[in-house]
Amino acid sequence: MYLVADISVEICAAKSCKLCTQYCPEANTIQYSDELGKDKGFKYGSAYVAVDRCKGCAQCVWVCDNMAKNYAIKMIMIDQLPKAALTENITYGEKSTTAVFASPSAG
Amino acid sequence: MSLDYVKFSNGFEKFMPKEYRDMVEHGPFGKKVTVSQMGNFKEVLEEHPMCAGCAMTLFIRLAMVAFPNPEDTITVGTAGCGRLAISQAAIPFVYGNYGDQNGVASGLSRGLRLRFGDKPKDVVVMAGDGGTADIGFQQVLHSWFRKERFTTIMLDNEVYGNTGGQESGMTNRGAVLKMAPLGKKFEKMDMLQMAKVAGCAYVATVVPNNPRRVESVIKKAVLIAREVGSTYIQAYTSCNIEYAIPTDKVMEDAKAVENDRYQFTEYVSDEAKQYLTERYGYKEFLAKPAAPAAAIPGKA
Repeated sequence: MYLVADISVEICAAKSCKLCTQYCPEANTIQYSDELGKDKGFKYGSAYVAVDRCKGCAQCVWVCDNMAKNYAIKMIMIDQLPKAALTENITYGEKSTTAVFASPSAG
Repeated sequence: MSLDYVKFSNGFEKFMPKEYRDMVEHGPFGKKVTVSQMGNFKEVLEEHPMCAGCAMTLFIRLAMVAFPNPEDTITVGTAGCGRLAISQAAIPFVYGNYGDQNGVASGLSRGLRLRFGDKPKDVVVMAGDGGTADIGFQQVLHSWFRKERFTTIMLDNEVYGNTGGQESGMTNRGAVLKMAPLGKKFEKMDMLQMAKVAGCAYVATVVPNNPRRVESVIKKAVLIAREVGSTYIQAYTSCNIEYAIPTDKVMEDAKAVENDRYQFTEYVSDEAKQYLTERYGYKEFLAKPAAPAAAIPGKA
């Protein structure tokens, strides 16, 4: 098993700073979805992780904790994540992406 | 080298992998994308075999987003870690022999100008500190003396990271590495000064802990290289393996190094300033209006 980043939608959608996306060394790994926040009544969207691309470096955790001071990202063992996004389940739209969240092992 | 190369061939669309379809339909080609839009569009950089948490990869990712016309760009590289990521992008990549990247880029840049005339085709060299300052040094310097119109970017991790940790010309004096156990005995090479002396029109240092600055610096360097002359960017991109930096502390290290020896510096020649202002509407180089005379206290 290995660690991947997991982003709390409740904290992220309240702030929506997008810093983690800009500091991730992997392309299209921390994605952004407007719908994730709106579904929960927030004005902004939230970032989420395409776990099949995450290498577990935790740079986003440092950025979220120390630069943004939001403490929204935790490293979690991939088999402990009930639902996650995989690249094949991400759809790009005009201005944002949409992801179908499912059990990562099912993907 | 045009928008045509990111189209589906007739009848093949349904057989292409998802990543390719996303690239064609939602990639940055023919659009203007910025760092703040990252996470919302398909980037030209794909999955790559670089180490987890590598700052060099982050810089390359930001650079790929910052290219003004990715569909009209060719990257040139040489042996080193960087080419593992640069070659995994939807931008043509030329892999030279070790150290000849600036020679290859000179010919490529001239050939593209002959073939396409005034239509901008950008050539960007991205090579490590060993490829640029040691083994490719002669070709790098001569391309600058000849005022070849392309951008040279040094991915400076201050070590030969790909071959086990030997010291390079850009390693700091006293640094102890796996293959330099007694510590380096000489100073870090001053490539910035050499670039200015050799006549580069734009010289900048940058650290990837400021993505918007990386974007701005790369855009300026590529645009200036279209018409004015050689441009050089020196980026600190730490090697977290050879310098034993925990992956979650890579940005902390970048900040510390930026404060220590990698402060942001930018040199823009007068000709380049005029070019950016007149051709691309940059306002930062316009003469600042004179400050109003300070009011004298107690007088109406």
